Amino acid sequence: MFSEQAAQRAHTLLSPPSANNATFARVPVATYTNSSQPFRLGERSFSRQYAHIYATRLIQMRPFLENRAQQHWGSGVGVKKLCELQPEEKCCVVGTLFKAMPLQPSILREVSEEPPRSKYIHPDDELVLEDELQRIKLKGTIDVSKLVTGTVLAVFGSVRDDGKFLVEDYCFADLAPQKPAPPLDTDRFVLLVSGLGLGGGGGESLLGTQLLVDVVTGQLGDEGEQCSAAHVSRVILAGNLLSHSTQSRDSINKAKYLTKKTQAASVEAVKMLDEILLQLSASVPVDVMPGEFDPTNYTLPQQPLHPCMFPLATAYSTLQLVTNPYQATIDGVRFLGTSGQNVSDIFRYSSMEDHLEILEWTLRVRHISPTAPDTLGCYPFYKTDPFIFPECPHVYFCGNTPSFGSKIIRGPEDQTVLLVTVPDFSATQTACLVNLRSLACQPISFSGFGAEDDDLGGLGLGP
Amino acid sequence: MADQLYLENIDEFVTDQNKIVTYKWLSYTLGVHVNQAKQMLYDYVERKRKENSGAQLHVTYLVSGSLIQNGHSCHKVAVVREDKLEAVKSKLAVTASIHVYSIQKAMLKDSGPLFNTDYDILKSNLQNCSKFSAIQCAAAVPRAPAESSSSSKKFEQSHLHMSSETQANNELTTNGHGPPASKQVSQQPKGIMGMFASKAAAKTQETNKETKTEAKEVTNASAAGNKAPGKGNMMSNFFGKAAMNKFKVNLDSEQAVKEEKIVEQPTVSVTEPKLATPAGLKKSSKKAEPVKVLQKEKKRGKRVALSDDETKETENMRKKRRRIKLPESDSSEDEDSPGAYEAESPSPPPPPSPPLEPVPKTEPEPPSVKSSSGENKRKRKRVLKSKTYLDGEGCIVTEKVYESESCTDSEEELNMKTSSVHRPPAMTVKKEPREERKGPKKGTAALGKANRQVSITGFFQRK
Repeated sequence: MFSEQAAQRAHTLLSPPSANNATFARVPVATYTNSSQPFRLGERSFSRQYAHIYATRLIQMRPFLENRAQQHWGSGVGVKKLCELQPEEKCCVVGTLFKAMPLQPSILREVSEEPPRSKYIHPDDELVLEDELQRIKLKGTIDVSKLVTGTVLAVFGSVRDDGKFLVEDYCFADLAPQKPAPPLDTDRFVLLVSGLGLGGGGGESLLGTQLLVDVVTGQLGDEGEQCSAAHVSRVILAGNLLSHSTQSRDSINKAKYLTKKTQAASVEAVKMLDEILLQLSASVPVDVMPGEFDPTNYTLPQQPLHPCMFPLATAYSTLQLVTNPYQATIDGVRFLGTSGQNVSDIFRYSSMEDHLEILEWTLRVRHISPTAPDTLGCYPFYKTDPFIFPECPHVYFCGNTPSFGSKIIRGPEDQTVLLVTVPDFSATQTACLVNLRSLACQPISFSGFGAEDDDLGGLGLGP
Repeated sequence: MADQLYLENIDEFVTDQNKIVTYKWLSYTLGVHVNQAKQMLYDYVERKRKENSGAQLHVTYLVSGSLIQNGHSCHKVAVVREDKLEAVKSKLAVTASIHVYSIQKAMLKDSGPLFNTDYDILKSNLQNCSKFSAIQCAAAVPRAPAESSSSSKKFEQSHLHMSSETQANNELTTNGHGPPASKQVSQQPKGIMGMFASKAAAKTQETNKETKTEAKEVTNASAAGNKAPGKGNMMSNFFGKAAMNKFKVNLDSEQAVKEEKIVEQPTVSVTEPKLATPAGLKKSSKKAEPVKVLQKEKKRGKRVALSDDETKETENMRKKRRRIKLPESDSSEDEDSPGAYEAESPSPPPPPSPPLEPVPKTEPEPPSVKSSSGENKRKRKRVLKSKTYLDGEGCIVTEKVYESESCTDSEEELNMKTSSVHRPPAMTVKKEPREERKGPKKGTAALGKANRQVSITGFFQRK
């Protein structure tokens, strides 16, 4: 772990100055490939309907699901289309789920100005299975509250007299095939941070951010810690670099003459971000993903932030502005992650409470954000659905979660994935260090001291 | 010796200057490795306490290490006050580093001032922020200028150059000329290249303001006709000087000499464009200076107080270049610069006659000169008054005029002709009116329909 490795060197700093001060070289970039090309959008046309994305999603997922169905229920199981169903006949159907939710926000209810809820599930929600041509209501042993619209799955059961499909069992596409990662001989770390929340006015988090930058760039700490920090080969900023408050749209409601000379709140925040990125990219390769509150497009996949916003930092080639979702292979380890919009959207429409659990669930259904485009904004793709996992990553993360979590899960074909929920830094002052060699993740948190006497509480060291 | 020197330095900073000396601040100030700075601080604390145990010295430390929390081994990095150091240390399972973070005379209530100190010193050392760090990254090389895209480079160049100019210019450039700046920069020099020496053209690239004025200058110069090459040389000299020096009085005097020579030239046609072009060349305040000087010369000895008053400069520029769009003339009024100029250009042609008969009688550019010279005040009031006088033809001319009233009431008004002016028909000597028109032109240009976009074609109409 980072701490243990850092503690291995002798403490030298509580002593008079010595002439020699060690300087460590940052571990060089061994291999890095950015595989986010499917998430880059070129010419965008919004004149298409969203039905196409569902159609292509089903077409792409069908083979995986038929495979899984045969693995689960035997190779003799009949996979039928809805139009071919015979009553009382046990068979398997592959289709897309639709959950009819009375509480789902609709434009009519928006007009009535209901306050936003944290969850929109309701006991009266119903599941409907749709395939290319038809749809059918589902009942039976299927967890209605947990599942969300847009999931493609295979159900096993039979259609009843009332026209509903009685489900006996169901399965998802499960993990995609995974290429094994080549073994590493030295410890290398990747730092995952999200939710810096600049421009939010939180002074405490600014010191934390500065401490984070200082640790990574080797200013803070004793030699052992600096040596370990030199093994951080990459930093990934997973979204929400700017705070929610920079998005205030008061100026839209005010008269023009009142707001003529006011500056958008995001301008100062972007300047601060530029300085932070400059410090980081002068010392370590950085990948910057946009998030929900960042100045880029709203729909998924979010395009990279524009380099003109960072005049100081873009001078360094170590700065990379990437998409959300982002996938890349760093030193042979395949990373895939989002800034958290997919997980938080599923959280709203499912009974699942733990973000880590939701993250795992998206991996199991083999789709990054099944609720797009239903409740999460998405570009109207029609040729392919880029959110389907073509390949299983080694590290799968999502940013801006309320708390840190990490878990290693195994797939049916011996895939191993490290799941990481990267917490919101502005609230928790915590980032994640992923060890590429051991595929372990350690949280790293920062604190200053406040006016209250209980410093230990601030550190989380209290009783 | 050198050893003791740092102790004295720290002593001075902490005790005498009452500063908060953080390790980072000390590192940048003394130019030493961060670890050495930390050791220096520790050494100072130890010695000071040894010699004077009652020393008023408060120290904050940085502690880092690992801690088991929620089942994870969490790496903690914390800045703590001295009195809490032991408590925090005891809670950590493994201590990775401890070192002095800062020394200050007063007890700190919270860690906010620490952040501010670090932030301030960082801001002044942004370009070499990792110079004294313990980690050096070989991959973090600033991009060579050739590698970055030309547009971003141009943007950066113009941006940097803008920031080095006076505030007037900055204000004016942000009037929507920012983004197109780079584009214009590339386009305009082509048209001007023939007119001016390449040096001059190179200078035009530096500020976007120049682009517009350059275009006008070209037309003016070409309209004037033959003097172009000769003037071109003069211009380039003038231009080169102007671009290279910050605006100083001595620069102006040099320019004044040049202007004098130009002034000597007999033909009006020369004078006008000459006046026009120098004025046009002055995108920056530097350029404005020579104009004022020129006027000063004409004014025969009335001293022009050079001031930074951007309004004055813009006024002058406006006077000189009615038809030339001067983005910076927008500073004092919140009007649309293009619109203002456009409106202005049609009106000058109509009143070709100088109801300024009086004007030629007096110095060529009395109003402008006077106003500029007399006008050392920042505030001017524009009052619309009706002036009636007998012009050369024996016609009574009544004009509505914006009179600029500054503190000295004896200022001649800056005349601006509105469409309600009675004029003697036609023949207003087209030629000699260059001078005359210059007078009123300057007057009108200055105030009244301020900020009108002067179109290129306005020049030809006047002929």
